[in-house]
Amino acid sequence: MAFPAVRRGRRQPVEPVVLVTVLLVAGALWLFIVNPLFQVMKQSVMTPEGISFQAYWDVVASERILRIFGNTLVLCTTVSLIATAIGFLFAYTVAYVQVPLKGLFRALAILPVVSPPFLVSLSAILLFGRTGLITRGLLGMENANIYGFGGLVLVMVLTEFPVTFLMLIGLLQNIDVSLEEAARNSGATRWQVFRTVTLPLLLPGLANAFLLVFIQALADFSNPMVIGGNYMVLAVQIYQQAIGGYDLQGGAAVAVLLLLITVAVFTLQRYWLAGRSYVTVTGKPARERTQVRDPWVVWPLFAVVSLLTLVVIAMYALIPINAFIKLWGINWSFTLDNFKYVLGLGMKPIYDTTRLALISMPISGLLGMVIAYLVTKKRFFGRGVMEFVAMLSLAVPGTVIGIGYILAFNKPPLVLTATGTILVLAFVFRNMPVGIRSGIAALQQIDPSMEEASINLGATTQQTFVKVMLPLMGSAFFSGLLYSFVRAMTAVSQVIFLVSAKYNLLTVAILNQVDVGRWGYASAYSTVLILIVLVVTVLLALILRLFGIRTSISDL
Amino acid sequence: MIKRTLAFTLAVSLLVLSGCGGAKPATTPSPSSGGQAQTQPSGSTEPKKNMKLVLYAGMMEDHVKGAVAEFEAATGIKVEWVRMSSGETLTRIRAEKDNPQASVWYGGPADAYVAAAAEGLLEPYVSPNAEKVPAQFKDPNGYWTGVYVGLLGFGYNTALMQEKGLTPPESWEDLLKPEFKGQIALANPGSSGTSYTMLATIAQLMGEDEGIEYMAKLHEQIAQYPKSGTAPGQMAGRGEVLIGISFAHDIVKYAKEGMPLDVTFPKEGTGYEIGGIALIKGGPDQEAAKIFIDWALTKEAQELGQKYGSYQSLTNVEATNPPEAFSLSEVKTINYDLEWAGTNRTRLVEKWSKAVNMQ
Repeated sequence: MAFPAVRRGRRQPVEPVVLVTVLLVAGALWLFIVNPLFQVMKQSVMTPEGISFQAYWDVVASERILRIFGNTLVLCTTVSLIATAIGFLFAYTVAYVQVPLKGLFRALAILPVVSPPFLVSLSAILLFGRTGLITRGLLGMENANIYGFGGLVLVMVLTEFPVTFLMLIGLLQNIDVSLEEAARNSGATRWQVFRTVTLPLLLPGLANAFLLVFIQALADFSNPMVIGGNYMVLAVQIYQQAIGGYDLQGGAAVAVLLLLITVAVFTLQRYWLAGRSYVTVTGKPARERTQVRDPWVVWPLFAVVSLLTLVVIAMYALIPINAFIKLWGINWSFTLDNFKYVLGLGMKPIYDTTRLALISMPISGLLGMVIAYLVTKKRFFGRGVMEFVAMLSLAVPGTVIGIGYILAFNKPPLVLTATGTILVLAFVFRNMPVGIRSGIAALQQIDPSMEEASINLGATTQQTFVKVMLPLMGSAFFSGLLYSFVRAMTAVSQVIFLVSAKYNLLTVAILNQVDVGRWGYASAYSTVLILIVLVVTVLLALILRLFGIRTSISDL
Repeated sequence: MIKRTLAFTLAVSLLVLSGCGGAKPATTPSPSSGGQAQTQPSGSTEPKKNMKLVLYAGMMEDHVKGAVAEFEAATGIKVEWVRMSSGETLTRIRAEKDNPQASVWYGGPADAYVAAAAEGLLEPYVSPNAEKVPAQFKDPNGYWTGVYVGLLGFGYNTALMQEKGLTPPESWEDLLKPEFKGQIALANPGSSGTSYTMLATIAQLMGEDEGIEYMAKLHEQIAQYPKSGTAPGQMAGRGEVLIGISFAHDIVKYAKEGMPLDVTFPKEGTGYEIGGIALIKGGPDQEAAKIFIDWALTKEAQELGQKYGSYQSLTNVEATNPPEAFSLSEVKTINYDLEWAGTNRTRLVEKWSKAVNMQ
């Protein structure tokens, strides 16, 4: 239905292995995604007097909520467009153009990924706030205002563009050089090749990147919370209403509205992608790409990418620096107090966060790949529904999923609240879509003849998946794996309600410090978190490299 | 079936993990701050070695941390805690209603406790020590008891105020002066208990409609509505704004930490919060919970606050207020109707949102 060109209308009986896998996956998706959301919806209509849709009427009738709805769309579109463009610029420059410092660009694009999202907001305030280093210190401005739409766009773009960069670089590297060379040899200019060969091949990737950022931006609540000022978006409204206004019902109703937007975006993307084929991995040997050396291309691109890199460096350097400063803007003296305080709170959150993220990593990676394989290469009843539900968990605002998990797993048969298991589950089902996305994008580039060859030679589905598809998906798979670890380490909104007195997580502790204005403690905690993420990802990437598997992060 | 997927994926993940050499220390360090507590059974009450307690706390983190350490040392009861805002705690307790995970709610404005009690989420408990707490600071039905009182005040940046040659505000009316336009921070009453206290105070002081009108005028003066009630104090201290409306004890705390801050009170009268403590209905470890509540109401426990940077005035009549605290007797307050504030919250916040046309 969705990818007709990839399939060639083969009709064959469903193998038992596939059937069992489909059933297992469907069961898990039902239990850990649909069920919690259902509980939230139930909450939105259940009143002490019985079932009532009053909360929905209030939403539709509220001029204010409709304006917030508009705000959200404007913000998400702006952020997604800019982030995808910048991510593409980075990816193209690193993959195609002979520029210096490639390693640095790669490394820096990782930085926003390895830290909790709202940290960029914190550095933006430290830099551009009223007492900001740049606004007050350098420019002497008295009433600089970083809070609001402009600040939000800045912060969210800087947070999201690395995601698109990492996605697109993987795809660009997989484009068969011979296609472009054929075009070149037939007399096309570089620009023509870019426009008629490279770009069309990349369109599904760009669409995916745009979609991913859009959905992330829809669900992001920590950045608007920290730096949004009076620019209200839906994700924050849900929080304000459910948590601040003690109005869980109204909050849940707004959440359903947010879900509807997500559904609309997702459907649009599927419809747009359908009917296109992007087969480039053919199994024939490919050669190294000759890089663009034209100075008129190289230096402007280099200048733009370097400038952006510089901004990113500034944003991230501030956090560890601020961790050693007594009171930003007032008392600049060096101190170790921030570290003493946060380490004095105990090592358990640090240890627990790392352990739970590590456990969730392979589960979400593998589950993601299996689902990607099922939905692109197999035909079964409800395939579209499975893909939809699997992707949905990424879109649902984290706080809603969090409340849903409490409601769903706080009574028999599955009592999981206040355990580590519930956190691992939240990570897995939240991060799995990332693996699915990269898996689908990678699979769409694999010529079906390779899979057919394997099956015609007598291999079973498992053998084909493990020996043919997985290696071809290798880079995407392991990059997705590392990325899901990082996402688990830096997850905030979906776990805010799942942390307990027994299991507290670093990000939640950091957000609490930011919230009460303890920027020094927040910075110290974040420095610890970023260090752990860097050490673990580099270590894993190096180990993978020993096995001959390259990940985009392993190029560090 | 699901179990099998999980078992399978778990097995794979273990394989991957061991392949990655992800060996981790087998010993788990004890949570939070209670590391030394067990080895230290020196307490006035008899040690309760095997008892434990789960706590949702709403005060400043350093205060909770300190209080828990002292309680563990005194009783031998092991405490696990997490700090959350009032709204978060209420939502959490509500969601966990069928299987409560915590048994004590400690700190944070009592109007959230009122809302919780109305929903049947709290268990009445009148501690023997509650008789030392005046009636105005506790629930007549015993659903919650006050542990401290905090007054709303205007925290202003002394350095900036001097630099601009302005006089600090002395009344609610003063906040509307043109020179303070864009120079005031107030937390969002939707998310902040502090700020809701102010909204309810204004509504009680001026009448609901006039109060909302005043809030709309004040909106023109506001630079930013942060989420948390202590943030305006921080913002004023940093010079992000000139004036932050917060609880006076938070402003005093930040001033003592080195920020150029001072506090004034509106002469028309200000509002106040009563920080509560309550027993969560159906929570585990009810006996330990009661011991904790009894302890938190003692003179000694209340006086601990200042050691950890909390300068509220205390509810136990025998307890000595920190010298930095402002008491109800020295500042003009309104007769704050907590019951009304607690039960009208959703409506009042919605009315406010409409009036200030929050985008």
